[in-house]
Amino acid sequence: MYEAVHAYPDGDSTAARFALTAARYGFDGVVVRVRSAGEAGPASYERVRDEYGVDVVDGIEVVAENPQRASGGIGNYRPKCTLLLVRGGTDGLNRFAVEQERVDVLARPMAGDGDVNHVLARVARENGVRIEFDFGPVLRRDGGHRVRALQGLRKLRELVEKYDAPYVVSANPASHLQLRAPRELVAVGEAAGFTGEQIEAGLAEWGRLAARNRERRSESFIAPGVKRGRYEEDD
Amino acid sequence: MKHLPKHLQPRWRYLGVGIEAWPDADLTRGAFQRELWFAAQNLLGDVGSADADLTVLGFRFGGGVGETVVRARRGHADEARAALACVDDVGGDPIGVRVRGVSGTVRACEERYLGGRAGHSGKRNVAFEDADRTAYSRDGALDVRLPSGFAGATQLDFEP
Repeated sequence: MYEAVHAYPDGDSTAARFALTAARYGFDGVVVRVRSAGEAGPASYERVRDEYGVDVVDGIEVVAENPQRASGGIGNYRPKCTLLLVRGGTDGLNRFAVEQERVDVLARPMAGDGDVNHVLARVARENGVRIEFDFGPVLRRDGGHRVRALQGLRKLRELVEKYDAPYVVSANPASHLQLRAPRELVAVGEAAGFTGEQIEAGLAEWGRLAARNRERRSESFIAPGVKRGRYEEDD
Repeated sequence: MKHLPKHLQPRWRYLGVGIEAWPDADLTRGAFQRELWFAAQNLLGDVGSADADLTVLGFRFGGGVGETVVRARRGHADEARAALACVDDVGGDPIGVRVRGVSGTVRACEERYLGGRAGHSGKRNVAFEDADRTAYSRDGALDVRLPSGFAGATQLDFEP
């Protein structure tokens, strides 16, 4: 199971500290979502991976105020990272993100004035864009904000179940202190009306996505089902 | 009042909980208990909170790490786990919480899940973001003091 984290400078802890804590908590890996390519790249993640025994995936979260800007970000960052996320939060951005096959994950679709409906859920499924269930506000807010976050999660869950849209689950931690172990997330999910399997599948989906994209970015990949190399022998 | 006969006494589960915070945090049992009750009430409601009947028993905290035993009614360990996960802040200090395991007796819980990690072992100076900073170290992890608070890092971030 994987968790997608906001590492320093976006968050308060470095990727290495997240990896160290995630290893103790029983995660298989972390997806580091940065806002732009550069500085600490995959090269330093390699060392963290070897040192702490958890996978570290380089992801970029495109944060833009409108679809035009986001479009530029997607074109720019897609070739540079393993996972590409687009932060939603307005109807326009949500709509735009699920229509792009190049996007892996639509993050925080229900934040702010964002909303998701049956049309978006169906399009997300067609394009294979994962919709993120953001448990951050459920874990760290209270009162009205949390009630609205829970309402958003419920609506999203009903749509995802109905249209069988792909999804991921994350607590959106911005420091290693905000990280929660998989079983804790399952317990919170169950209290919020999810099943344990749904939460586990959503956490595992990050890892599956990363593995798929790594395969696609490898040299021998040509198209889904087609790769360069020796032919397979029939049994 | 005369206590209940043994077969009518409630059965409990004991959760061994690890706590982590920034080096300057100061947590007490009372403050943690209060936050846990708030979290349980907010997440599970009055009914669920009364059912789970969460009580903080032992509590130790120092040097940025701590551990505690939380008692929950048997059959409500998952609710207890969920409520604990929602405790993110005690008296203004952000904390990390992890349930290490669940036992049927306090003693088994302490023996199996507690008595683990020590607090901060030392201070050292590191170069973080081109500036000289003080860092508190604890088995491989480093908490770097910044003007705005702390940043979590590890040894790995300061090796060439």
